Amino acid sequence: MNYHTRRRLTGFVFLAPYFLSFCCFLLLPILVAAGLAFMRFDLTAKNSIQLVGVQNFRELMKDSYFAQALLATCRYAILMVPSLIISAFAIALGLNSMSRGRDLMRALIYLPGMFTIAVTAILWQWFYNLEFGLFNFLLKHLGSAPVSWLSDKRLAMPSIVVMALWWTAGGASVVLLTALQQIPRMYIEAAALDGANAGQLFWRITLPLLRPVLFFVVVTNTIGAFQMFPQASLLTQGGPLLSTRGVVQYMYETAFNNYRLGYAASISWALTLVIVVFISAQFFAFRRIAD
Amino acid sequence: MRFWRIVLYGLMALVAAGFIFPVVLMFLTSFKPEAEVLNPASAFPKNWTVQNYTNVLAWAEEAPFSRWLLNSVFTSSTVTLLVLGFSSMAAYAITRLNVPGGRTFLSVVIASMMVPGQLFLVPVYFILSRLHWLDTPAALIVPATAGGFGVFMLSQFMRAVPVAIEEAALMDGCSSAGVFLNVTVPLCAPALATLGIFTFIGSWNDYVSPLVYMDSVRNYTLPVGIALYQASYYTEYGRTLATSALATTPLLLMFLIFQRQIVESMASTGLKD
Repeated sequence: MNYHTRRRLTGFVFLAPYFLSFCCFLLLPILVAAGLAFMRFDLTAKNSIQLVGVQNFRELMKDSYFAQALLATCRYAILMVPSLIISAFAIALGLNSMSRGRDLMRALIYLPGMFTIAVTAILWQWFYNLEFGLFNFLLKHLGSAPVSWLSDKRLAMPSIVVMALWWTAGGASVVLLTALQQIPRMYIEAAALDGANAGQLFWRITLPLLRPVLFFVVVTNTIGAFQMFPQASLLTQGGPLLSTRGVVQYMYETAFNNYRLGYAASISWALTLVIVVFISAQFFAFRRIAD
Repeated sequence: MRFWRIVLYGLMALVAAGFIFPVVLMFLTSFKPEAEVLNPASAFPKNWTVQNYTNVLAWAEEAPFSRWLLNSVFTSSTVTLLVLGFSSMAAYAITRLNVPGGRTFLSVVIASMMVPGQLFLVPVYFILSRLHWLDTPAALIVPATAGGFGVFMLSQFMRAVPVAIEEAALMDGCSSAGVFLNVTVPLCAPALATLGIFTFIGSWNDYVSPLVYMDSVRNYTLPVGIALYQASYYTEYGRTLATSALATTPLLLMFLIFQRQIVESMASTGLKD
């Protein structure tokens, strides 16, 4: 065996473990999900696997629970993504203009991101508690009546968003802070010498230079927001009256409480399609701003 | 000018306090007796007690906390070791051994990182059920090694490391495997550390996979375990906060030690969840 064949063989051996894992648990699942979406596969029924064509998708179009879940997911994403971007950006700008204590602040703000969603939800459920939660405790001392944060239909979703902001804003602001620090100082100094004021510096220099990073943060957080699940399932159980049950929670319940794997797979694909549409819209929006 | 600086520092201190206050309150309240939890006169406990912790750690068939902790430690460390091993070997094969089709494979791997994770829940459940792996540690460990981020990140890193040192070792008669273990891996240590920390945190905090793939209470990892604990003891906040504090402490220690590395690599990779 010559040197090159041996090296090649070693290459295959080195690639093999990951390649296998990738094929079995990344590629194969996508194919299985594609197959399942066109099948009736109920774990509870006998004779459980049947090819049914597009019937799952036809059912999906008429499914009012799916429509409600999609509405809840969209409400969450529309509340969450802009407030996350704005607060993370504001925090990053604040951190960037600090000359002392910046690293400590950055660490403190990032810390909640280290928590599992289970612990995060326990903490916030406690804060939102009707009788002895922190928020109603403060309201009581201000002389107001207690508010049912999680069981009021108008307040439940914003309450979830506030928790999610606490959980994720630190990560996003750290990314934006790093991008801010990479802007060469001379651009800002040159513009300032030419008499640009703070507003002009921000809108004409800082923001355009941050566009690629901003796009990245918007896209990743949009993908994440559309997959909202434990945030709501742990804090409100999807209530009140299913108003905070998102698509992934509905998919989860369809698959693992009602054992309808085929229908659940079609829900997954529908959500994936919605995500692709939103991301493409953002892509074109960012391109237009650039021109 | 000076006035604005004071405003800025004041505002930022408020923001940081808002982020950190819930964590502090969790730890303080977990040391309060139940009566004080329900009638909070002050953030600090008047009568410090470890009763909540002894209650949590006492072995209970319906809520075996120490068992969940063991499961979490075992799962997260195994996932981390496997991801480090598989990804570094794959990156070495692609960037150094020039395995045929390696580049194409890498682009497929990178493209796969865009697929939203929710799509995998049902089919992976289906595959695991066929393998009879449901409700076993393998269900949490093996699928977690398939993610492409490690291979992507290490390939980028290896490409930036000069090959000259490795070539010198090859000249001296070292085998490819020997070069990988003795030269490449040490050279990639910073990237491996970052990948390891992120993988460990991700696996430790993963709530959805154990929720879906695990069935018996004793096989849960901490996130699902404490969610179950909270559901059964939800009126006893002292206890649930003690479970939360216990489950978070290992990560907080890790954060204290590796703070700079975690925050800075988070910034450069932008990876989360």
